[in-house]
Amino acid sequence: MNSIQRGMMGSILTQSLHSLLPWLLRLSLGVFLFRGFAEPVTAVPLDPPQRVITQKPQVCVHTRLIDEVYEGVIQRSLQMVREMGADTIVEFFPWAYAEPAKGQYDWSNFDRIVKHARNQGLHIIARMGLVPGWARPEAEVANSTLNTLPAESYADFARFVSVFAERYAGVIDQIIIWNEPNLAFEWGFQQVDPAGYVRLLHAVYEPIHTANPNAQVLAAPLAPTLEPPGSPNGLHDLIYLEALYEAGIQGYYDAMAMHTYGFTEPPETPPAPTALNFRRAELLHEIMTRYGDGDLPVYITETGWNDHPRWTKAVRPSLRVQYTVDAFRWAENHWPWAEKVCIWAFRYPAPTNNYPDNFTLVNGDFQPRPIYTAIQNFALGRSTGEALWLPAPSG
Amino acid sequence: MATRPFRLIYIILLPALSIWVWLLVVATFSLRWFSIERPGPPVREIFPYGEMRVGVDASYAPFAVASAEGLFGLDIDLAQAIAARLGAPVRFVNMGFDGLYDSLKTDQVDVLISALVTDYSRTNEVLYTLPYYNAGLVLVSLATQPLASYHDLRDQQLALEFGSEADQVARRWQRRTPMTILPYELPSYALDSLRLQQAQAALVDATTARLYRREHPSWNILFTPMTDSLYLLATRRDRGQTWEAINQALAELLDDGTVEALIAKWL
Repeated sequence: MNSIQRGMMGSILTQSLHSLLPWLLRLSLGVFLFRGFAEPVTAVPLDPPQRVITQKPQVCVHTRLIDEVYEGVIQRSLQMVREMGADTIVEFFPWAYAEPAKGQYDWSNFDRIVKHARNQGLHIIARMGLVPGWARPEAEVANSTLNTLPAESYADFARFVSVFAERYAGVIDQIIIWNEPNLAFEWGFQQVDPAGYVRLLHAVYEPIHTANPNAQVLAAPLAPTLEPPGSPNGLHDLIYLEALYEAGIQGYYDAMAMHTYGFTEPPETPPAPTALNFRRAELLHEIMTRYGDGDLPVYITETGWNDHPRWTKAVRPSLRVQYTVDAFRWAENHWPWAEKVCIWAFRYPAPTNNYPDNFTLVNGDFQPRPIYTAIQNFALGRSTGEALWLPAPSG
Repeated sequence: MATRPFRLIYIILLPALSIWVWLLVVATFSLRWFSIERPGPPVREIFPYGEMRVGVDASYAPFAVASAEGLFGLDIDLAQAIAARLGAPVRFVNMGFDGLYDSLKTDQVDVLISALVTDYSRTNEVLYTLPYYNAGLVLVSLATQPLASYHDLRDQQLALEFGSEADQVARRWQRRTPMTILPYELPSYALDSLRLQQAQAALVDATTARLYRREHPSWNILFTPMTDSLYLLATRRDRGQTWEAINQALAELLDDGTVEALIAKWL
């Protein structure tokens, strides 16, 4: 290469660089802007692994974490659950979220809850439900709800739950199949159907045990209700449970989930078929015993009192504190069959701005309600001894 | 024959005058046209089933409560007033709060009237109407010693119900303004405390305050709203005509004082 050729080559290189430079600048700007709009990295560093300290192993709480946007909120919630002295949570794992298209799974939302719960030393009881659009008949999608599970989709649901059971084996071993199927609303606004629910259990039982031999299949908790047969709203829980046994539930569940609320009554109020109160769980357990399943474990997956000022089934906050702690004591002393007694609910992802908000233990910004502190004192064996409120003023 | 100056005025003013005359005629007819009361759309266009089906959770006193005689309360009366305004029969479907929105989605009901507050996560499926009542917290003080904000509570005593929403709000205020919180077991005790001049103010929800004032009509007090909790009605987003008719009826009931009268009846 002579000097002329070298000069030409240098000139070409210089010109190329000159023309490339603006494009490099544009590319850099594009990358910078793209990073600005790209989804931020939201992973939250884990705490050092924790262990729950409690004197009351029955104490448990139902969380509502699946709809949280920020992982830090999940972490904070579970820290506070641990600090309250509950070693177990019940959490909803919606099918529609994890299998948005048939056979295509997205476990990311589930994984981050499981990761933080394990890190806080918490056990998880999983509640399964919520039907993806593809598993509902197309013509009905518009007027069906996410709780509408047609019989032809039972096999799809069973396959999903077994994949779930296998993925989280050893971490989540208690799996609740559906929620309150004795309410029309929870059964997709169809007439409730105990035999249909038993068929659902028949569909899921073996696949779950094949996927995780240590799994416990929990029969769905029934809503405490007095709705008579034929009501469009639902069916009396005691009648529904009897119907489950008549339809062949035995052998297709390993434990029973129950919902029992105190409403306006103290926890000691005796149960009766015509009354809704905390000890209604005893009537459900009597039916289990009558059918020979009295030795199966029971998980009270929802219980509690509400302290909304306007709800007719609520009590005042002071009574809520007293009744809740007394209810734990009642279960401890009288319900050896109850593995866990789980309070509904720790916190909601968004307020309802109605009475359901007054079931929570902390508000949206994690400010503990007095009920949180009361349960914590009970679980940790603390006695504050101080009066929480002033005596009524007198003139 | 007009003389020259008059002809000039005639030529210049007549067209201008005629414009004003025409405008007057048009305005008169417009006013007449818009003042004519026309019948609204037929009931079946507003409500496909020929009746206004109302979803309500009748466990929320005194807005909607179920008894052996049926449903009663402010929301029930409001629903009946709206239906009457629209010339439609009304049918109530009583259900739990959890089922309200799904009942709307699955066409079990046409409208929800159940002390609802806007839920922004549902606005892709639901249209909300004008608000008809604010149930937020109010600061209650004596008319002779009015307090309008938490800044006025510096070094004062604030009575409230232990564990209530007011308790949570007041504890946040307390971080900014030193005050003494007097927690009572019941909200009525907090208001008693103010009435007996053991506190300078009470923080309670608006409904509690109104109900207490009914029991003590001669007590001269002020309510200052501190938070908003606006109750409104909800319809399906894909039933725009239903929403429009109900919202219009509600607007008229608000304008003519019917809603205020219903609130006064129950609260």
